[in-house]
Amino acid sequence: MKIVGVAACTVGIAHTYIAQEKLENAGKKAGHDISVETQGTIGTENELTQQQIAEADIVIIAADVKIAGRERFEGKRIIQVPTEIAVKSPNKLLEKAVEVVNQKESLK
Amino acid sequence: MEVKDIVDLKTIKTDMTASSKEEAIQELAEVLRHNDYITDVEGFLKDIYAREEVGQTGIGNYIAIPHGNSASVKKIGVSIGITQEEIPWETLDGKGVKGIILFAVGRENDGAQNHLKLLSLFARKLGNDDVIEKLLQSKTAVDVQEALCN
Repeated sequence: MKIVGVAACTVGIAHTYIAQEKLENAGKKAGHDISVETQGTIGTENELTQQQIAEADIVIIAADVKIAGRERFEGKRIIQVPTEIAVKSPNKLLEKAVEVVNQKESLK
Repeated sequence: MEVKDIVDLKTIKTDMTASSKEEAIQELAEVLRHNDYITDVEGFLKDIYAREEVGQTGIGNYIAIPHGNSASVKKIGVSIGITQEEIPWETLDGKGVKGIILFAVGRENDGAQNHLKLLSLFARKLGNDDVIEKLLQSKTAVDVQEALCN
């Protein structure tokens, strides 16, 4: 599965990056193609490309604040959670994402 | 530019005596003051506790990451403390804490992009279970540095 995500926390120096790392590690381990953009104090890093977004089966937004550029995901399936969820249970969050994508497929 | 550049052996304590969250934060803040990362402990702690109010800084796996932006910060950095006994803390998995990483970041960070970048790379390390496991077993500051930088 192709997954894109955005991580952003209140202060923008810790949870954002821990969430990114955990999601990317868990995603790769489960065999997904995953890329997570970070919006922190330092600015936006690992910015998602239009192509990545277009090809993604689902978008995971792990954020405690309003993210920049949400309109990029218009029309896509989005799961939004606080960063804590991505830090605490990245595997479960990805399982949920797979579930949502499969549901969508079966409705076609 | 590597994570190693932001892990200062002088601000690592593997023999923490703190038995509460307040004592642990105080102990590490004093280490930061002593090494000229912050100008005053009191002002810094006020900003750290402001962030504590917003949500849990215990990220699970016995690790806590108190942090905040403070005008008392002179130089971006981290202080790392390891305790033998679990300290009670508000955490995502309900366990206590044995590794505390206190982040020092200023309010205005102009010209500090490199350090912020390092800090983000450092934070990412904390998202790896093997790194955390090694970190918690560290007996010396060098062990801590190796756990985080390899």
